Amino acid sequence: MTARLHRILGPAVLAAGLAFGPGVAAGPEDDTLRAAMTGEILNLDYLYTTRREYIIMANMTDARLFNMNPETQEAEPSVATSYEFIDDMTVEVKLRDDVRFHDGSLLTAADVAYTYNWVIDDGSESHAQTLISRWLDRAEVIDDQTVHFHLAAVNPLIIRDMAQRVPLRKDGSYHQGDEPDFDAMAIDHIGVGPYRVASFNPGVEAVLERFDDYFGDAPAIENIVVRTIPDVGTQQAEIMAGGINWMFNVPLDVAQNVGMRPDIDHLAGPDLRISFIVLDAAGIVEEDGPLTDVRVRRAMNHAVNRDEIAEFLMGGGASEGIHTPCHPVQFGCVQDVMRYEYDPERGRELLAEAGYPDGFDLDLWAYRERPVSEAVMSDLEAIGININLRYVQLESLNQARAAAEIPAYIGSWGSGGVPDTALIARVHFSDTSDRHLSGDSEVVEWVMAAEQTADQGARAEYYRQAVTRIAEQAYWVPLVSYTANYLVTSDLDFPLDSDGVPRLENSSWR
Amino acid sequence: MSERLQTSAPEVRAEAEQDLPPSPGQLARTRAWSHRGFQVGVAILVALILVAILAPYLAPHSPYQQSLPNRLLPPVWVEGGNWTYPLGTDGVGRDYLSRLIYGTRVSIIIGLGAATVGMFIGVTLGVLAGYFGGWIDHACSFILTAQLALPGLLLAMALVFFIGPSLYVVIGIIGVLGWTYFMVVTRSATQHIKGLDYVAAARASGATPRQIIWHEIMPNLSSKIIVIFTFEVGVAILAESALSFLGVGIQAPTPSWGLMIAEGKDAMFFRPWLVVLPGILLFILVIGANLMGDGLRDITSPEEKS
Amino acid sequence: MLNYIAQRAALAIAVAFTVSLAAFVLLNIATDPAYAIAGEDADPEVVEQIRQRFGLDRPIWVRYGEWLMNVLRGDFGVSYYWNKPVSALVAERVGTTLTLAFAALFVTIAIAIPLGALAALNRNTWIDRFALWVAVSAQAIPNFWLGLILIILLAVTFPIFPVSGDATWRHFVLPAFVLGASSVPPVMRLMRTGLIEVMGSDYIRTARSKGFRGRSLLTRHALRNALLPVVSVLAVQLGHKVGGSVITESVFAINGLGRLALQSILGADIPTVQMLIFIFALVFVAMNLLADILNAALDPRIRIG
Repeated sequence: MTARLHRILGPAVLAAGLAFGPGVAAGPEDDTLRAAMTGEILNLDYLYTTRREYIIMANMTDARLFNMNPETQEAEPSVATSYEFIDDMTVEVKLRDDVRFHDGSLLTAADVAYTYNWVIDDGSESHAQTLISRWLDRAEVIDDQTVHFHLAAVNPLIIRDMAQRVPLRKDGSYHQGDEPDFDAMAIDHIGVGPYRVASFNPGVEAVLERFDDYFGDAPAIENIVVRTIPDVGTQQAEIMAGGINWMFNVPLDVAQNVGMRPDIDHLAGPDLRISFIVLDAAGIVEEDGPLTDVRVRRAMNHAVNRDEIAEFLMGGGASEGIHTPCHPVQFGCVQDVMRYEYDPERGRELLAEAGYPDGFDLDLWAYRERPVSEAVMSDLEAIGININLRYVQLESLNQARAAAEIPAYIGSWGSGGVPDTALIARVHFSDTSDRHLSGDSEVVEWVMAAEQTADQGARAEYYRQAVTRIAEQAYWVPLVSYTANYLVTSDLDFPLDSDGVPRLENSSWR
Repeated sequence: MSERLQTSAPEVRAEAEQDLPPSPGQLARTRAWSHRGFQVGVAILVALILVAILAPYLAPHSPYQQSLPNRLLPPVWVEGGNWTYPLGTDGVGRDYLSRLIYGTRVSIIIGLGAATVGMFIGVTLGVLAGYFGGWIDHACSFILTAQLALPGLLLAMALVFFIGPSLYVVIGIIGVLGWTYFMVVTRSATQHIKGLDYVAAARASGATPRQIIWHEIMPNLSSKIIVIFTFEVGVAILAESALSFLGVGIQAPTPSWGLMIAEGKDAMFFRPWLVVLPGILLFILVIGANLMGDGLRDITSPEEKS
Repeated sequence: MLNYIAQRAALAIAVAFTVSLAAFVLLNIATDPAYAIAGEDADPEVVEQIRQRFGLDRPIWVRYGEWLMNVLRGDFGVSYYWNKPVSALVAERVGTTLTLAFAALFVTIAIAIPLGALAALNRNTWIDRFALWVAVSAQAIPNFWLGLILIILLAVTFPIFPVSGDATWRHFVLPAFVLGASSVPPVMRLMRTGLIEVMGSDYIRTARSKGFRGRSLLTRHALRNALLPVVSVLAVQLGHKVGGSVITESVFAINGLGRLALQSILGADIPTVQMLIFIFALVFVAMNLLADILNAALDPRIRIG
């Protein structure tokens, strides 16, 4: 039975069979790129979303004041033509005069000021509110093409936040009725991006079409359809059957197998996401537990075979074992830190020195790549730690962590595609974060100080201190960086950017 | 949740009314030896139980031993396979044959365990409801309906999270999801037996309800309970596989066939054996339980013989 | 009779509320919707904001009470996740689920009734044994596995049907088969035993002794009488299919209520879960009630009340 199944499933038969397969063929014939995503697209307003899928959508439907060039990581003009610090606490931004919204109206300074003032309004509950409120006091209209941003605090990431976090909205977008409406742009979206939303069925499909009055370079492909297909197996079947052109976050094995077909390409690009184990060094969950002993934490660092995990489970390429609590390409992520090479023997010795010659019991929580969790578990058990793996939904893990029930978990962080240690450090090493289990107040001070200066040299120094201490004290077990795996049909030219953010709007047909 | 986690009341009732009177054991034994389905079912179960017991001797490797460089090897009959791993390896390089063999243990333990839990709950409620009737009966049928209407998935997810993943938690959950059939059948059978002359006689001679239940009713229910128990073992095994497939049952790295299907699903077009093999084993094990159940029913109530 | 129906309807509503309370508590034990809404890489501050926006920072009994009051006014609330009223969400998807449920029921009828009848008429022959074999097998196949195998075989290797989705009737063929197959064993067995019983009953024997023979008699009397109890079981099975297609809808990516239930349970979308459980409980009890009524109407020996 199995042997026969395998034989009839040979690639040749697959290809031949699919030639007369059902469904609409995606591709250049109707100038429509059909993309599949695992996570549901439920809301098109990036002011009210955070996930990676939404960043991809927002890149197509919205524009911001600036663009971050993914290669140079410099801010480039977009809706804004320039910016200037006219004093320490005021930024003057000049706007283009030819930017049109999808409904045809011209964008002016009033729209920009409205958007920013709404974002930081207590009542807006925008997901960008916390971030922007850190530095913005208010935005003021000077004339149609000029906005002044009055700052609340000095912050190194102002221009970056403008370039990445705040899509521009029309004046009054959220104030059409008596009450402000958070969901005004969620479904019937109006932006200034290269694509406008032709139709949107939340959780099912978003149909985008090229916006002819877009102020920038017109995208090559006329229509982009983004379908929600929650199951990777189904996505895979669809791309083989010609129903979709593009899928991302593809598990390595699927990508390699499907990529062997002549009509489908496997693209492996860099990704800023890293995974790591956070350890309860402060004894928050278990006072004076084994993890409060630095020797135990170092033993765990020696136990994990990062390079093997990177090579075999993450697919090699851009993925490698890491030794820092940040991605090696991120600003401030120094690499000359204490390294713990794979050495289970040394791990066992350290455990014995710490008084655990027979190991101990540990609940290790995880939610993402199951094979990686199992490989880590097996490595830790090899030095004698008795792991109880709690593989759960992300929400459940977060809830248990908030309740201080998690002594160790395998975390993962994508930094929103931003190559700066700030994007991972603040969330994981601050007094207000339940992710922070190290209890080291000096690390917290350094991380906070780095955010309160615009001096890049000083920032680098703060991060160097923090990263070095974290490695030396083994507060984390850094694991691996990721490779972003894509499957695309061979007729599609999909350029990869080094920040790992997929930009469908840059695609074209071959 | 799954179609199979629920048993509907009227359907069960209809079956229950068809096979009431128990039959003498002597006759049953003779019939057992001539019932083909029963024989096949027993043979399958005995064989798989032996596999489960002897797993450490049969499995070529530890089901937990990982070897990342050797991950996702194909079975020996596919190009690239070798005899070190006769059925290949899984996503982290564990021997698939060994995991399948140990998976037999998990399925059988859960099947027997959960059916036992379900039996205790269902028979207790069924006998109480059937014997006492009135508000107790109403309360029991309320619990029954509420249980059937609550998604098992939700219950499983909450309990696994709250108590933590272990074989016992999963046994408990599936037992709690799988007592309804026991209750419906024992309830109607108890009602029937209660009305018979000898129970009335016992009551007239001053026997307490407890004595009547234990000495008059339970012995007459036993053959019926055994039949249901056998079926429920199969139902519980399928329920475990469905829950594990959805990620709220047995947790990795414990080898569970449902979990293995879920793990192999992403690559099923290229490595179909990862999905096909555990499914076939599930099928064989459950069919063994069902054939045995069918056989037992025919043997204990021959007027219903199919 | 009316009294009985009223009693059962009251039971249905009581069950629906009990189950909704249980579900509310269970969901709050297992997950926190704020995290589900915020997504993977959300700042703790964002999560806190969401928690306040949706009122999730209040005690659980306050929130359940609020939900209950709104439901009594006919308002099931707004989905945390989908940004729209739950009732609209359900209304969009109920058609898909009903289509699948009836298609599955059709599959069940098309397989189980002829097979059961043939088995009864050819008792103890190979046909009978084949029918039994089908029933035993259908009972033993894991549903989700059957779905995956059918996708491998009939959607990818031999692409006769689409892999997933619910756009055309062709999309429903495989899922309807998977969902329908699970009801074949009980219906087939009931049809078979029912027909055997009817064939052995007095009036058939009388008719036969009067000289009616052959197919016409069969179809006129026996089949009809044997089908009656089957109908009530089918009603119950239909109830299961409305609420019980979680796995099938998920494997085939069909946007019906079952998949919505799975998504909202895993994503802690409490208002949606609550309304679905409410609906499932009502449908479940209603279908059992219908079955009881059918049974009573068809068989005067069953006294209800």
